[in-house]
Amino acid sequence: MAILTLLAPLGARADGPYVSDTASLLWQDNAANAASGDGILGAYTVGAGGTASWIHSGGFSTLVLTSLSANFEVCTPFSGLDNVAVGPRLEIRHKLEVGPYAPTVYAGADAGLVGFDDPERSNAEGAIFAGYSQRFTEALQLVVEGRAGSYDAKETVFTGSYAHLGATLNWDPNATWRFAVTGGWRNGDTVAGYEAYRSPSGWEPIDPGAYALAGPWRYVATFRKPFLDYRVSALTWSYGAAISPAIGRNTSVTLGFTRFETLGPDPYISDEVSLSIAHKY
Amino acid sequence: MKRLFAAALLASAALSAHAAGIVRVVTKDPSGSPVADAVAYAVALDGTPQVHPPSEPVAIVQKDQEFQTYVTPVVVGTRVVFPNKDTVQHHVYSVSPAKKFEIPLYIGESSASILFDRPGPVTLGCNIHDWMVAYVFVLATPYFAKTGTDGVADISGLPQGRYRLEVWHPRLAAKVERELVVAESGDTTQVVSVTLRPDRRIRRAPDAGGADYK
Repeated sequence: MAILTLLAPLGARADGPYVSDTASLLWQDNAANAASGDGILGAYTVGAGGTASWIHSGGFSTLVLTSLSANFEVCTPFSGLDNVAVGPRLEIRHKLEVGPYAPTVYAGADAGLVGFDDPERSNAEGAIFAGYSQRFTEALQLVVEGRAGSYDAKETVFTGSYAHLGATLNWDPNATWRFAVTGGWRNGDTVAGYEAYRSPSGWEPIDPGAYALAGPWRYVATFRKPFLDYRVSALTWSYGAAISPAIGRNTSVTLGFTRFETLGPDPYISDEVSLSIAHKY
Repeated sequence: MKRLFAAALLASAALSAHAAGIVRVVTKDPSGSPVADAVAYAVALDGTPQVHPPSEPVAIVQKDQEFQTYVTPVVVGTRVVFPNKDTVQHHVYSVSPAKKFEIPLYIGESSASILFDRPGPVTLGCNIHDWMVAYVFVLATPYFAKTGTDGVADISGLPQGRYRLEVWHPRLAAKVERELVVAESGDTTQVVSVTLRPDRRIRRAPDAGGADYK
C-alpha cells in the first residue's frame, strides 16, 4: 500500500533514458570457491555492460527509477563461466528532508536472465532490496543495503537463494578522490568446487572435507580438470577497500579489493581485485 | 563675476555629492592568484542609501546538472527565478537563515519566483543532485560587484564619502573589511588579500562498483 501511495502522484512522463556503462577487469584468486589447495584456481574476468534508466518524478523528492541493464563477462581461463546477463530494475528513492545531509531511503526489485557458456549454470534470478544512505559531511557518506534474492538454474546445484546485508563508507577528501571501505554479511546458497578424481565408483572429491557437505553436487568440466561442484548453504563475511579517482564530472575509475570468507562445514576464502571504469552520459 | 563663480562652486558641490566614483577591488589569495566569484561591496558609513531591486527577476539557470552561476549578488527585495534547462527534474532549495525555500521537482521554467528579502548569504542546492551548489548573496547596499576570473570587481556609482569595504566569498576563511574614503576626484583601486578555505564539494562522478560475490 505504501508503494502504491508513492506511485500515485507519478505522471505518465518519464525523463530519460540516461545511459551509463561500465567496464571491468577482475582477478579472483579462487574462482572455483575451493576449500583446499588442489582446487584453488585463479582467473581473470573481463566484463562490460550498460544501463539505460528512466526517471519518473513523484512528490517531494521522490523518484521512481526504472532501468534495463545488459552485461557480459569473459573469464579468460575458464570459458564455461563466460556469461551474458540482461534484466530490468525498479527502484523507488525518497529523500526524507531537504539538504545534502538529509537521509535517503530506497527500495526496489531487480531481475535478470543469465546465460552461461556452461548451460547448466544459466539461470533466472530476482531480488528485492532496500537501502539507506546518509551523508555526514561533504566528504563522508554511509550506505547500507539489504537484499534478498534467489536464482533458478537448469541444475539444482546452481539454484539457490540468499539474504545479504552490506555497508559502504565513502570518504571523499575532495571532488576527485574517493576512498571506500565495505563490509558485508551474506547467508544463503553458494557453490563450492572440489578437484576430483575418477574412482571405480565414479567421481570422488580429492578433499575429504567435501563429504561434510550435505547439498546436491555434480561433475563439471568448467575448470579444465575434473571438478565436483557442491551447493553449500553457508554464511559469508566480506570486507574490502577501494580507491576511486573521478575523471571529469561523469567518469570514475575504481581499484578495489574484497575478501570473501565463507564459513560452514568446509570453509574457504576468495580474494578479488577489480579495476573498473564507469561513465554516465 | 563673483556670482557666476559662486554658482559654479555650488553646481560643482552639488555634482560632487552625486559623483560616480569607481572603486576597483583587486582580490588576491595569499599566493597572489586572483580570486573569482568574490562579492566586493561598500557599506556607506554616513547614511543609508536606498537599494532598488530590479523590476525583472534575476535568473539562475540549471544546465548540465549544475547551477550555471556559482555566485549571484542581489540587493534586498530582488526576485530570483530558477529555470531548469536540463532534461531531468531538479528540486531547488535553501535552508539558509537569510532565505529558506524550496521548489519541488520541476523542469523547464518554474512558475515560482523567490523573493530575497533579508541580507546575507543563501546557499542553493538540489535535493536530487547533491553536488549542485550555488550561492545568492543578498546585499543591503547598492554598491557592489562580483570579481571575474581576473579577480577584479569594479564598484561604480559611489558618491564621495566614507564606506566600509567588505569582501564575501563562499569559502572565505576570515572576514575581509576595511574603511574606505571615496574622494571627490573619484576612482580608486583597493588590493585585497583573500584567504579561502579548501574547495570541498560533493562528488558527482558515478560509482564504478566493486566486486560481487558469486
